[in-house]
Amino acid sequence: MTDFVNNRAGGAQVGRNVTKIDAFKLARGEPVYTDDVHPAGMLWAKVLGSPHAHARILDVDASRALALPGVVDVAWHRQVKPILHTRAGQSHPEPSPYDTVIMPDKARHMGDRVAIVVAETLAIAEQALGLIDVKYEVLPALTDMDEALARTDVLVHEVADPRGIAEGGRSNVAARIDKQVGDVSAALKTCDHVVERTYWLPRVQASHIEPHVAISWLDEDGRLVVRTSTQVPFHLRRILARILELKEADIRVVKPRVGGGFGDKQEMVMEDIVALMTLRTKRPVRLEFTRTEELTSARCRHPQRIVMTTGVMNDGTIIANRMNVTADTGAYGSHALTVQGNTGQKVLPMYPCANIHFQVTCLYTNNPISGAFRGYGAPQGCFALESHIDEVAKVLGMDRLELRKKNHIRLGDTDPLSAKLGEGREGLSRVIRSTGLETAIEMGCDAIGWTRKRPPSAPHLRRGLGMALAMQGSGIAGVDWGAATVKLNEDGSVNLAVGATDIGQGSDTVLAQMCAQELGISYEKVRVLSSDTDLTPFDVGAYASSTTYVSGGAVVKAAQQMRDQLAGVFAEKWACPAGDVVFGDDNVSCGPDKAMTMAELATHALYAAKMQPAATASHMSNESPPPFAAQFADVEVDPETGEVFLRRFVSAVDCGTPIHPGMAEGQIEGAVSQAIGYALFEEVIVDRAGKVKNPNFLDYKIASALDMPEMVTILVPTMEPSGPYGVKAAGEVPIDGPAPAIVNAICDAVGARLCRIPATPERVWRQIKEAGE
Amino acid sequence: MKIVVKLNGRNREWEAAPGATLLSVLRDGPQEPRMTSVKRGCETGDCGACTVLLDGQPVNSCVVAAARAHGHAVTTIEGLAGDPLMTALQAALVEHAAVQCGYCSPGMLVSLYHLLKECRAAGTTPGDHAIREALSGNLCRCTGYVKPVAAATAVAATLAAVGRAEAGAR
Amino acid sequence: MWELKEYRIAGSIGEAVAMMRRGPGKGVYIAGGTDLFLFPPACDYVVDINHVGMSNIARTPDGDLFIGAAATLHDIATCPLVTGFAGGLVSAAAAHCGNRPVRTTATIGGNLCNALPSADLAPALLALDAVCYIADEDSQESLPLEEFFTGPRRTVLDGRLLVGIALSAASGGWRAAARRLTRSAEDIALVQVAVALEIDGDRVGAARIALGSVAPVPMRAMLAEALVEGELIANLDPDRLADAAAIAAGECEPIDDHRASAEYRREMVGVLTRRLLASVLAGSTDTSPGTDNEGGAA
Ligand SMILES: Cc1cc2nc3c(=O)[nH]c(=O)nc-3n(C[C@H](O)[C@H](O)[C@H](O)COP(=O)(O)OP(=O)(O)OC[C@H]3O[C@@H](n4cnc5c(N)ncnc54)[C@H](O)[C@@H]3O)c2cc1C
Ligand code: FES
Ligand code: FES
Repeated sequence: MTDFVNNRAGGAQVGRNVTKIDAFKLARGEPVYTDDVHPAGMLWAKVLGSPHAHARILDVDASRALALPGVVDVAWHRQVKPILHTRAGQSHPEPSPYDTVIMPDKARHMGDRVAIVVAETLAIAEQALGLIDVKYEVLPALTDMDEALARTDVLVHEVADPRGIAEGGRSNVAARIDKQVGDVSAALKTCDHVVERTYWLPRVQASHIEPHVAISWLDEDGRLVVRTSTQVPFHLRRILARILELKEADIRVVKPRVGGGFGDKQEMVMEDIVALMTLRTKRPVRLEFTRTEELTSARCRHPQRIVMTTGVMNDGTIIANRMNVTADTGAYGSHALTVQGNTGQKVLPMYPCANIHFQVTCLYTNNPISGAFRGYGAPQGCFALESHIDEVAKVLGMDRLELRKKNHIRLGDTDPLSAKLGEGREGLSRVIRSTGLETAIEMGCDAIGWTRKRPPSAPHLRRGLGMALAMQGSGIAGVDWGAATVKLNEDGSVNLAVGATDIGQGSDTVLAQMCAQELGISYEKVRVLSSDTDLTPFDVGAYASSTTYVSGGAVVKAAQQMRDQLAGVFAEKWACPAGDVVFGDDNVSCGPDKAMTMAELATHALYAAKMQPAATASHMSNESPPPFAAQFADVEVDPETGEVFLRRFVSAVDCGTPIHPGMAEGQIEGAVSQAIGYALFEEVIVDRAGKVKNPNFLDYKIASALDMPEMVTILVPTMEPSGPYGVKAAGEVPIDGPAPAIVNAICDAVGARLCRIPATPERVWRQIKEAGE
Repeated sequence: MKIVVKLNGRNREWEAAPGATLLSVLRDGPQEPRMTSVKRGCETGDCGACTVLLDGQPVNSCVVAAARAHGHAVTTIEGLAGDPLMTALQAALVEHAAVQCGYCSPGMLVSLYHLLKECRAAGTTPGDHAIREALSGNLCRCTGYVKPVAAATAVAATLAAVGRAEAGAR
Repeated sequence: MWELKEYRIAGSIGEAVAMMRRGPGKGVYIAGGTDLFLFPPACDYVVDINHVGMSNIARTPDGDLFIGAAATLHDIATCPLVTGFAGGLVSAAAAHCGNRPVRTTATIGGNLCNALPSADLAPALLALDAVCYIADEDSQESLPLEEFFTGPRRTVLDGRLLVGIALSAASGGWRAAARRLTRSAEDIALVQVAVALEIDGDRVGAARIALGSVAPVPMRAMLAEALVEGELIANLDPDRLADAAAIAAGECEPIDDHRASAEYRREMVGVLTRRLLASVLAGSTDTSPGTDNEGGAA
């Protein structure tokens, strides 16, 4: 195990709310995002999306478009070499099926790529789309998971994944999982009660406010530069090299400031398009999605149907749990295996028992593409499990809090599933070495008033409380890793280069704090350069909540190495033992009379000792310690209209030792706001023909300031031995619990169990009617 | 068509298509400098990333015709650099960790600036609901609005205190 | 981008209509543009009507309220002449449209002329017997708002200009309340109901029940109104109100769409009408959904 020896230098740079290092320039609106700087001679790209959910693209005639003045190029499948790949943006070897080419000869969802136009202005590019004549052979559209499973005469993918993940050519199954610990069927026969329910999860979209946007050009050496709003610059470089048949050495991916990603920017949604068009035209090319394209052609959270079967004894002991997931990956298999794997892996261990069975069937359909979205499968699983626990408690006539307390995972417990399920292959087993779950439950109960439910605020309303527990991971054990380089300058400042991707969550700031902590300097002395594949060391990118835990580990190691170098230089100059050199408050010293400032030491190193203090370190963890959350909702329901008024929401979260408590809270509050939408109103509605009925913010509602309840956020610090300074991840776990907590509260208020979210007024109203009948 | 506006206090002449939105002219060019604080998030008037002031009132520039600004004053964050109220708001947002990805921040700041200016003129202090109402057109996917509202509340309280002190001095 | 050949700015009502009629090709009026830019119609030119003197809100000497078609929703939401009229029914409706920046430019004329079944000002105005003033190149006409809408996105206008809306002094004293149901705080309404009652001692005088989002056009539930109109307040017990509400529910013609089913919409017309009638009779004015006196002008 790779425990961190926290022999940190003096001063308190971590654990405090320092000023986020990029915040002022963002608040001033300075040109720091991808689209804010346009290279000279830039062309504007637009994608011609398919009007059919499933159709062969027989022929494309672009002559009328090319005749329009200002149109520079049009590309479609006959002109682009089809190299199978996945756009999922994962580590090599990728666990998602290779089912994608840059320009497909068959459209698999409405909006799928048919042709790309580049023109001198956006208006001309848009106009040109209407001048492209396409011959389609329209095929039957599969938009229902069960139909997709049943039919083999209509196949979304006719070619099998070369690595055997998806069953292209034979069926519409994109991924299957069937893992068992113990023997659930046998165990269920011995239980006092068996409770089975089915839960349905909607398709929702990340809806980062900055859409996907990318600009590419050829630099003066003819190398391809892609400046893009991405979470995974290094994966992108690797994938682009392969599918464009370039050397990785000839590609540079630069990530400027990013206006939110939430997983949706882990995917290569458009970088291949701009790169292709730059290679074809030798000119800079820019592409930005409209909100409608975001909602039809970016990625969604996988819709799922989950059947939960739980066997319990009269005293509340859970004996067996089965989770059977049917999921819709849409037109392509991005993250089909791994998201669904997480649905069980990150969720079922909450209530360890000897018999656990986890099954997944993930289907291709002609619906919009599913993919990575904050929580990565866990919000779906958590909704099912935590709704189900309330149902089990009801069957037992037991208090739902007591049932949870009796069964939840504890310090020292082994998570039974993680060894069976890694990132699409055998994973590593996981023992809980830090948990604040008990404290979180206690503090959360107190903050919501669990035992003091308030009366309704009006006679026609009903009040209810609900809760949910959640756990997640901190990076992918044994897979995610990152590197950092530190270098000292003569004024005592430090350049920190990291591959880690700050997408707004503030990782640049947190990593600067950690670096400063190790060197005993102020974080303001650290200049962070992140995510430029030419200039920074490798990192897998910002996903799986890995940045602070994994990339932070690399920063700490690199800083420690450089500190050792500096101790050596100091010891030589002052003739003292290197082991006695102390760093802190921008000073280096050994005893009361041997001291110099960091700047003096740096100047000495560079000009007298003639050495560059610098270090690069890599870090990978074989563990993925779970952060925990206990979340509570206080709602009022109008039983006649089905309206739900969320009054108060409490999150008590154990994310280890927070490096920047304010930003950790911000992660929680933001996650909760997204999850409130998941619970109450967000849904990308797709009709039977595969058309998105609400492809804009007029109709796809995300939470506004007026939708937010009174929010209480409690950090429950723990010391995780495998994390630098005891950190775990904070970004994902708080998005899991709100939906079940809210729905459990609705049930508490009106006695109606919503097995399907979002809990729109109509759904709540209908469920109340049904419960009454 | 030719459009004459007062942009951030300076007269400018734009050449724009008759169907152009104010957002596209401010952000996409070809006129330089591009106002990069004015962001594109939805183009349906819902997200508020493109909020600017038109004659001192907040508008979502993606649903306002560029031609509508002809003969009027348009103010963006760039034009409020150094304004004491805007500076205070920016500092408050930053110090409250209310800026995550920051893509919504300029739009939020324009809305809050307008609210607090209006309240100051009326001698009132906005409460939680008034602040949320003012922010309701600025969608933020990162923060859950908790810290932005707290930041605005803090600035409003400071303004109220200053107002009381000034009244006391008089 | 919206392919327009020309942006015409009119300086007077007459000029606006003339510019519209002049051609060549197809033209539309543009006020705030907040509807037009969402789904730009195919046309050749627009006529900007923000500078023709139609932005005024005024009380006439005999107490009628006149709202110019180009008055913005923000002005309507905050103007004391409107907030003090019929319990602020119209100003509250304006305040619920979109968000603050949208209301800066969005106009009442645009809201009505766009003629969506869900237009938020329509139920409130219908409930107060609003009259529309319409101008052609050389003539003016007025007609009740009920007759203005001819179908979804269709009105009687045919190239003419809506000049403004008038509400009679009498309706200003009616007691009124409204409610809209939505999925999130800021959303296109699923169902809208506005109720206005003239209270005349122990009797109800005029009674108006107006509905939105539940028929091809905003509508009045006249059969339900008849059950209440002229009645002794003492006779309007909960059963009677429930009957009226059920009749209103029967009168509407909702459709299923991705936002809500026809069945739900119809049921909600009943629920909201019943509650609004009760709260208006009880004289409550609180406006927020989910509060005690639920059903005020919210
Ligand atoms: C983010 C957002 C949220 C919204 N939310 C709501 C809501 O909650 N409720 C709601 O009802 N609406 C809503 N709307 C729609 C819209 O803002 C309102 O309907 C607004 O009142 C339209 O006014 P406008 O002046 O902008 O119309 P415009 O876009 O200028 O015009 C709309 C139509 O009316 C015609 N027109 C305008 N004025 C006249 C006139 N005087 N005579 C003849 N024809 C005329 C135009 O030709 C056009 O066809 C929303 C819009 C946005 C962008
Ligand atoms: S871009 Fe204008 S409101 Fe979203
Ligand atoms: S900070 Fe990212 S959208 Fe608000």
